[in-house]
Amino acid sequence: MRDMKEIMMAAIFDVVEKMFYVFLEPVADEYSDYAMEAAVQFKGDVKGEISILVSEALAENMVRNFLGLAQGQMTRDDVEDCMKEVANMVCGNFLGRLDRTKVFDLSMPSFSRSPRKNIADGHSFRLFFDSDGESFGAVLRLAN
Amino acid sequence: MSFNVLIVDDSRSMRSVIKKIIMISGFSMDKCYEAVNGRHALEILAVEWVDVILSDLNMPEMNGLEMLAALKADSHLQAIPVIIISTEGSDDKRKAVLEMGAKQFIKKPFSPEYVRKVLYEVIGMEDAGTHEGYERDNDGGDF
Repeated sequence: MRDMKEIMMAAIFDVVEKMFYVFLEPVADEYSDYAMEAAVQFKGDVKGEISILVSEALAENMVRNFLGLAQGQMTRDDVEDCMKEVANMVCGNFLGRLDRTKVFDLSMPSFSRSPRKNIADGHSFRLFFDSDGESFGAVLRLAN
Repeated sequence: MSFNVLIVDDSRSMRSVIKKIIMISGFSMDKCYEAVNGRHALEILAVEWVDVILSDLNMPEMNGLEMLAALKADSHLQAIPVIIISTEGSDDKRKAVLEMGAKQFIKKPFSPEYVRKVLYEVIGMEDAGTHEGYERDNDGGDF
């Protein structure tokens, strides 16, 4: 599981830095100001779900950077679309790093403005990050 | 010489980003068509000519592999080069995509320079830019 955490962290950094120009700092404590959650399920040698949790201001910053939008130009649909894309890319990047010889089926990303609480269990882990006072979280949940 | 491009992705944001990347990369683009899935792409191709297609794999209704199969089965469309852009980057998936007739596979996240380089490679023209050193040994380069 520790290796998986390191792989997940590398996948998150790769995606958010390269495509969203956001830099995350790992933190130990979970924030509670997540405004949205996007998730992708995967099936293959291992089966599970990766979800990302993001605060409103950080999500808007990521969308602005990704789409090159000015303040006031972005819509709620833009935010949803981009957060789905983040989850999709993090999931694909994570699985590729985990084992690039294996093929996984990925679901269409889902999105909610009511993030689930305590969605991690014994077969999961959560990672927490800070970006200029805003929060980003990720959850890997493995199916039994 | 300018080229017509078709971008196929269910994410409006990703279509917008790919279009923007093509524009800022200096690739000579004439018309840019956008489709939300493979079926929509085939509808566009029934009435418009494009020189190159950039397509996602994981899309609702008709995914990238199904679209690729439909293109290869159509004598009028089978010669259009297809570049797959996807988060899914396993060796087997990449091999399957190339065996099905895609010309190139770009893994997300990607760089504008890498997309430009692949576009010029695929359409068989020399890249007019001075981009030595952009190529990375990873799938998509730095964004």
